[in-house]
Amino acid sequence: MTRYLNLYWYFLIQRLKVLMEYRLSFILGASSTIVWQASSIAAVWIVMQKVPSLNGWNYDEVLLVYGLVTLSKSINHMFADNLWTLGRIYIRSGGFDRFLVRPIDPLFHLLADRFCQDGVGNFLVGLALVIKSSVDLGIDWTPSKLLVLIVGIVSGGFIFIALNLITCVSAFWIVDSVPVTRLVFDNHLFAQYPLSIYPKAIGILLTWVIPYGFASFYPASYVLGRDVGNIAWFGPFVAAFLLFIGYRFWQFGLKYYSGTGT
Amino acid sequence: MIRTARRNLSVYSAILAMIPKQFMAYQLWFWISLVLSVISMAILVYFWRAIYANTSTISGLAQNQTINYILLAFIFMPLTSNDLIWEFGSNLREGTIIHHLLRPINFQGMNYAQMLGGLLTRLILQIPMAVVAVFIFGLRFPTDLSTWLAFLVSALLGFTVMFFFNWFLACFTFYTTEIWGLGVLVDGMTFFLSGALVPLVMMPEWIRNIVLSIPFAQALAVPVSLLTGITPLSDAPLVWFIQVLWILGMWIISTLFFRVAVRKITVQGG
Repeated sequence: MTRYLNLYWYFLIQRLKVLMEYRLSFILGASSTIVWQASSIAAVWIVMQKVPSLNGWNYDEVLLVYGLVTLSKSINHMFADNLWTLGRIYIRSGGFDRFLVRPIDPLFHLLADRFCQDGVGNFLVGLALVIKSSVDLGIDWTPSKLLVLIVGIVSGGFIFIALNLITCVSAFWIVDSVPVTRLVFDNHLFAQYPLSIYPKAIGILLTWVIPYGFASFYPASYVLGRDVGNIAWFGPFVAAFLLFIGYRFWQFGLKYYSGTGT
Repeated sequence: MIRTARRNLSVYSAILAMIPKQFMAYQLWFWISLVLSVISMAILVYFWRAIYANTSTISGLAQNQTINYILLAFIFMPLTSNDLIWEFGSNLREGTIIHHLLRPINFQGMNYAQMLGGLLTRLILQIPMAVVAVFIFGLRFPTDLSTWLAFLVSALLGFTVMFFFNWFLACFTFYTTEIWGLGVLVDGMTFFLSGALVPLVMMPEWIRNIVLSIPFAQALAVPVSLLTGITPLSDAPLVWFIQVLWILGMWIISTLFFRVAVRKITVQGG
């Protein structure tokens, strides 16, 4: 474990050296995500100036939900972005075979190979939204609320990573896994708003099938004192279960991988 | 005279026809992006329904009017495409821009034909999405022919405004040779500034003034407002006139800038 932590640190330093060679691209990459988020948030702000309630949630409460899912997403974006490019960049070119002959876990190698700077923008936006909204809402922080919030963000991040892992394994068969990953990943957009604004079926989908709801709606509901029951605490179990499935599926795919002949 | 015109027409239409073929290579993406669009539309529709839960009109717009506007803006989003910036960038990076500049046809005209071909293809590819919007989300297209005509004229004018505006922006790449950052930045801003997310009438006045003093909205919010009846049909000639002024202004600025910038050309290889 310590060996892998040291290795990760080493990979990260190398990656930052590369990024510092292209400082302008680094800054633009990180700020591009900020511009995108700012567009959506500006729209919500404008609308909620006119109508202060989204199905009983006020502007700051909506921002809390939005900020939480953005933070979870940024964990995935910074540390696991390579799951997107497994097929396009590593398998197609044959570069993935390089990982297989090295004495470290290939999945670890894939993830550590590229820290994605664009995720920093998402992280800053998410953090700013969560702080801004919880200050304006005057949330009375108890230890259990704080715990649910942090556990929610971290397990949300792992749910993002696990779902991308499960879908990216398809690259071992179809090479380009991006369409499959997108198909699942884009559902996180639902979780930018309280799940209660959608029909029941979408709520069930985002809780039990593609469970991004645990990244935002459930922790936010708990922190805001809206009763959602014990489900507020389910996040870590859901994340652990999905990671387990994801890793097993990854190993299964790896067994069938035979390279593209490049 | 007629011969040159015919020659030009056949040259440019051949360029236009090339684009759909390129698009067809991505069939899987076609189906997947249909599902992704349905997800995006669902979020927009349910968001707005929740907003309208306790009120019948916002800034004079009823729920079905707003949702119609939002869905149509989503469907006609290709009008705001900034492909030109990317095209410029890749031409510059690979050095092919040199060949284009040496060809005996107008470089700007060639690009316009290409972008128009891209627009038509993208709009055709949006048809399945429009069908879904009608059957699942209750989108209503206007049935009045003159509304459609007013919209089509305004859409073409707006697209042309964006073409020259993008041409102007793309000229910066002659100086920076960095394309990716410019592209994503413009992409992100277009989303909001084109009026795709909120009807212009709902915006606070100072934001609306900003949005109307830059070109993005001319390509989307302006024509779609005509199509949904938010802008009355009787205002159409005025709308067109303003768009024509935009085209003239953008055309002059972008052409002048291009003349200066092209001297700075630094090809990164090729």
